[in-house]
Order: sequence, then structure tokens, then C-alpha cells
Amino acid sequence: MLIQFPPSNSEIDLKKTYDAIVVGSGAAGGMAAHALTSHGLKVLLLEAGAYQDTSKILHSMQWPYDHPRRGKMPPDYHALTAAEYRFRPRPYAAENSPYKKVTSYVEQWGGSDYSKTLVVDEKQNPTTGTPYAWVRSRVVGGKTNIWGRLALRLSDYDFKAKDRDGYGENWPISYADIEPYYDRVDTYLGVSGYPENLPWLPDGKFQRPIKLTYSELHLRNTLKGMNRVLTPYRAGVTTDGLKHNKYRSRCYGRGACNRHVGGCDIHAAFDSPTGLIRPAYDTGNLTMRTNATVREITVDKNTGKATGVAFVDSETRREYEVKAKTVVLAASTLESTRLILLSKSTTYPNGIGNSSGHAGHNFCEHVMGPSIAGFMPELVGKPRTIDDGKPGGFYIPRFRNLDKNSKLDFIRGYGFEGGSGCGMVPGSVYSTPGFGEDYKREARRMAGATIDIGGFGEVLARYENQIELDPQVKDSWGIPVLRFNYKFGENERKMCEDMVRAGREMFEAAKFEIVSSSSDMLPEGWSIHELGTSRMGNDPKTSVVNQFQQFHDVKNLFVVDGSTHVNASCQNPTWTIMALAWRSCDYLADQLQKGEI
Amino acid sequence: MSPRSISEAKNQASPFDLNRRDLLKLLSVAGLTAPLALPAPEPGAPLYFTKEEFALLDALTELVIPADGHSPGAHAAGVAAYIDKSVAEAFLPEDKQTWREGLAGVNDLSHSLHSKAFLQGSKEQQLAVLKKMSASEQIKRRSSDPEQGKPTLPEKFFGQLKNTTIFVYYTTSIGIHQEIEYRGNVLLDQFAGYMPDEPLPPVSSLSATS
Repeated sequence: MLIQFPPSNSEIDLKKTYDAIVVGSGAAGGMAAHALTSHGLKVLLLEAGAYQDTSKILHSMQWPYDHPRRGKMPPDYHALTAAEYRFRPRPYAAENSPYKKVTSYVEQWGGSDYSKTLVVDEKQNPTTGTPYAWVRSRVVGGKTNIWGRLALRLSDYDFKAKDRDGYGENWPISYADIEPYYDRVDTYLGVSGYPENLPWLPDGKFQRPIKLTYSELHLRNTLKGMNRVLTPYRAGVTTDGLKHNKYRSRCYGRGACNRHVGGCDIHAAFDSPTGLIRPAYDTGNLTMRTNATVREITVDKNTGKATGVAFVDSETRREYEVKAKTVVLAASTLESTRLILLSKSTTYPNGIGNSSGHAGHNFCEHVMGPSIAGFMPELVGKPRTIDDGKPGGFYIPRFRNLDKNSKLDFIRGYGFEGGSGCGMVPGSVYSTPGFGEDYKREARRMAGATIDIGGFGEVLARYENQIELDPQVKDSWGIPVLRFNYKFGENERKMCEDMVRAGREMFEAAKFEIVSSSSDMLPEGWSIHELGTSRMGNDPKTSVVNQFQQFHDVKNLFVVDGSTHVNASCQNPTWTIMALAWRSCDYLADQLQKGEI
Repeated sequence: MSPRSISEAKNQASPFDLNRRDLLKLLSVAGLTAPLALPAPEPGAPLYFTKEEFALLDALTELVIPADGHSPGAHAAGVAAYIDKSVAEAFLPEDKQTWREGLAGVNDLSHSLHSKAFLQGSKEQQLAVLKKMSASEQIKRRSSDPEQGKPTLPEKFFGQLKNTTIFVYYTTSIGIHQEIEYRGNVLLDQFAGYMPDEPLPPVSSLSATS
């Protein structure tokens, strides 16, 4: 029998008191919904956007020539460019912009038209302050509908980074605390990888690995002599299938995820709606309310506890309040912190749970941009192979500052993501100079030989890198917007110089010919890995939440997304967000059942 | 984000990426309303370009990506028709204007070099015009100094013409299947390629082609 998903908002009971309200339905919120409902808790999941069935809108295997604009958006849609982020006065899109919709930069490449409804309209959702490419997705599943799928673990090189170089703070957990939850996430959602036994990039419960191209295997072999590793992309994709999840297929190597902004219409790549929310819904314990833009966490003045949330219907603009025994924020790093700052009361004049004054601070992420592009001369003119029939290329894990006595001019590290060979539209057609028959032949002969890598570096968590509420500007729903006070520093600049040095060195060692290399940084925010701003810690004076992502000041309030990360590491955050959310929700359920909160 | 997306972002942004001045222009048209619907064209006629402009555009795209022994070129792939359609529905007036001015600039350059319109020239003369137009691409590759060799209008137009022709040609059936011989976008039971612990076969085992 087909069940209508999601049910109509009019059928939702907003009068009853739920065990938990979860705000946001992406990786963190989906995981909270899954973990809490699995304990039998009655959960209300609130999502600011609508439900969009990506099975129907992605058209993963459609050829570009079968699409009226070859996959591009309609002409009255505009995607912001790097230059606009850098130079345009904020907000980036005036409310009276002539365009029908102004989207974040991600719509410039890949799938554009396929995902134009999955990211927010900058006209409705302005921001102010320093330049920042803030990609938001207000839709059921959030950014998991378009994510890059690199599913990495952090290690004690990250959790205890202060012990190694003295900078910042340690996390209040160690790898041993989170390892069982990484294992659970791997098993429940599926992850593809090849074990390498690296202490700084722990292996997972891997499904069938992605295979390497000829040039990638050659580079892997070369790097062995340099104490560096090239490993197949560790993709948050089920390559063997998941018997326990009827909403997801295994991966069939169509290569569609790299041709579009991301997203998978057979859901082999993890997305929150099919990986977490629909199975949670099937328990009978989950209620989901879409178009619910939460504007405030409500408080009981006498106990100081959270009583629920106030939200505005994104479409009808009607105001609602709903009550719960516990509130779990999972609205994305910056949106969750915005909610903390918005929830001001006589009890909490600096925002709920913000007696430390740290909410909004210690903002961090990954810097990207430095890249090296080249080709393997021996492969020029070789017969075509299927090089893109897989959910990712390769990953070169961090190799800098692993030794405590390292003498580099920057701290922390970076990894490289890379790809090679011939895609549907190979990179060589754009990188080959000239025109005419020579150009055409050269582009064709080079198509399978190209290889490129791009760095992702840890941006240090700095107290002064911060967000706050703008005193004047409001969004389309009358809610104060975020003002950014954030920029990269000297450590990031030096790290980016080193990325290019080290990248060129590896290409040269492999005897790849380098076509171009650049140490230029892309604008702040480009990695879509914003982290920090409500960090966890043992000291209530310097952190917002404890190791279970529970507010020091408010026992029945939790925030389970990337805002709680103490540092950014250089490893992609999604898998860590989900492992921590699962751990914290187990704790929440236990405490609630014991009557402790 | 994957690095493929980084390089794609860089590649694809190049013709369309805005500099400070472009941004000011963009801001100055911020009060515009949506363009009016176009009158129905006569069958087969270009939607935006004049017949003369269209013939010039068609010839230019074919010179950028010509038919060769391997596959048909831009003309057979209908590149000019696609460009005409997308320019006709372009949202900003200057996105139409740059094409019209660019094509006029090609004729001007041809007149100054050979005292005749581009299409009246011989194949060698046409190639000489394009060679001249592509000069700044060569300079850009040799020097990182942005002030060196600031592009002339025809040089700027060459970038636009080339990048657009590439985007359109290589997303046609001819470009994907005949020219590139792309083999993906199929269902694979097993991934193609090599396991990380597999010995790397000698390059000579991969037979030569084209």
C-alpha cells in the first residue's frame, strides 16, 4: 500500500506535548529523528521548507541534449559568482532584484536546473557583514540532497589537537567515545571505502570500494614512496545495498552524482529523507511538519527549561506554538546558532543557553581553492574507458603536521580530493588552447589522460570569527538575519601555499605534466562546511554545550549539528555530525526515561 | 564539493564570471522587468540574430570545432541554432548585445585585415582572423600579469565564442557519443578500473588509438 509522504500539514496535531521537537531535517535532524523514534519517543520534526521528491526531480540519467537548456537554469534565475560574493555589497540579492530567483553559487555548475529548487532564494534569505558564500537548503533533507558524499571519520589528531600544537581547545570527547557511533552510522547508512589503517583517518565498516583509474593507481603507487596515501573516495553511498532500507538502492555506477550538483534519484548516495526520515516515519513515532520556520525556542520562566518552539508557516505566514519535553536543534550550524541568539528572554538576555557569551563565536570551516590540474602523458590518445562510473574519485588524506616536531610555518593540515579521466563532458575540452582541427583532436586525445586535485584545509577556530544578529535587516518572514564577521587568517594563507607546493611535488614525482596550478582561495563559505559557533566543552564558561550536545544552562535543550564542533579538522564533517547526533540522542532518551531532564 | 566541481566552476565561470565593472553594470539594470515575449518568427528563421549574423555565427562555430575524419563539427551539431535560441531568451540586454557587437567586431577585423567581410574571405583569410582573435588566449597562458595584453573586443569575443561553442557542442549527441565516445551513464554491476592493491599493468597493454 502506498502511504502518502509526508502527510498534509493540516492533519498534524500541534496541541499535544511531544517527547521531543527536532528543528531541521538534514543530516543532524534526520539522525535525531531516527535515533529518538527508535527509542519509542514521540517526535515532531519541523522543517522550514517543503518536501521535494528528488526521485522525481533529479533525472539522473537524462542526457544534456534531452534537456531544453542542457541542464542549465531558466534565464531569469541567477547563481551568484565568486566575484559577486567578494565584491558585491551585502545583501547579495536586493529584494527587488529583476531575477525570479537568486541562488547560491552551487547552481553554476553541474545540475543547476535539476536542483534549482533545493537551495534558498537569496532575496528571501539575506545576510549582512563580511563576504560569505552561505549555501542553504530549506527542504526536507536539507543539504544531504546535494552533498558531496565524502564520508570521513575524525580522530584524536582532531579531538585532542590542542595537546599536539597548543592551539584552541580539545573536544570533550575522544575517538574511543565516538567510534561505536561511527560504526553504527556506517552499518545503518552504508559507506564505501578501502581500509588504509591510518591513525589520523580511521577506517570504517566499509562496503565495496570504488575502483581507481590507471593514473590514480599510478599516483597511489608513487605516493607510497613519499609516505602519503591515495585512497578511493570514501563515499557515503551504499555500494552493496542495505537490506534494512526499502527506500534505497545500491549504487550502479551511473556517475550521475558528479554530473549534477549532487543528489541521487535511486538514493544509493545517502540523503536524510530516504536514509533516516522515512524509516523513522515507518515506526509510527514520527510526525513531520513542513513549511515550519522556527523563530524562537520558548522558555518556562520559573524553571528556565525550554517548553517548545514558536514557528511561522513559511507559506501562509500564520504563527504557531508547539510544546515538547525536550527540544533538539539541528537547523544547520549557523541557523541553529541564529535560533539561540533569537531566543532572548528575561531569563536568557544573551540568547537561550548563552551565559558563556560564546554562541556565535569560534566559527570555523574548510578553506578550498588551491588546485593542481595536469595529465599523464602515457594515457594521451588511449582508448576510452569508463572513468566516471562511480560516486567519487579519490582522496589524499592529511600528511602535514602529523609529527609533533614538524617545522612548518602553519599548524594543522589539509587533504586533497581528486578525480581523473573522461567524464561526459571531459575537462580537456575547456583546458585545451586554440581552435579548429588541432584543438578538437588534442581535446579528444587528452580527455582520458587528465587528473586534478583540490585541497581542503582546516580553518582555525578563532573567537573573533563570529556571527551575530543584524540589528536592522530581517528576512522575508520578519526574522532578524545573521551578520558575518569572519575571514581567513595567516595560517590558512600559508597552508594554501603549501597545498600547491605539495601538490606539484606529487604530480612531478608521478611524472604527470602540470597544466595549471593555483594557490588562490575561493571565497569564505565555499566548502559548505561551516562549523563551530556553539561549541561543546566541559567548561560552561567557554562552551555552550557539554559532550552530549546538551546546553550547560538548559538541561532539556540540545543542538546536534556542526555548530558544536570544537575545531574543523580537515576531514569532511557529515559523518561526524551524524555519529555525534546519534550518541547525544541515545543520552537524551536515557535521561528522559530516568526523569533526569 | 569535489575537485571536479572546482575545476568545472573555474572553467565554466570564465566566460560568465563577473568583474567589478560588470557588476556595476548589472546593478545599474536592477530595475528592469522581464523581457517581453518575442513575436513568432518565420519558420526556420533565427530567433534573435539576423540571417547574416546567423550565417557568420554558424561559420565561426564550425571553424572553432570543425568536422574532421573523426566526427561532424559544430555546424552539423546545430551549435549556432542553440546559441541563437539561448541568446533570444537571455535575461540581461547586454548578454544579447555582446553577441551582436562581437559578430560585428569580427567583420570589422576582417575588413581591416583583408578589406572584406568575414564570410567573403577565403578559408585562409578566415582562419587568419580567428588566429588574431585568439591571440590573448595565448598571452594569458604565458603570463600571469593581468595588465599584459588587455584583450581587444574581438579577443574578448573569442573567449565567449569558444567557451559557448564548447559548452554546446560537447553536450550534443554528436559531441558526447561520436566525438568523445563517452561510455558512461550506464548501469554497471561492478565499478570499472583497478583495485588499490592490484598490480599496475604496463601502459603498452593499453592499445593505441586515434
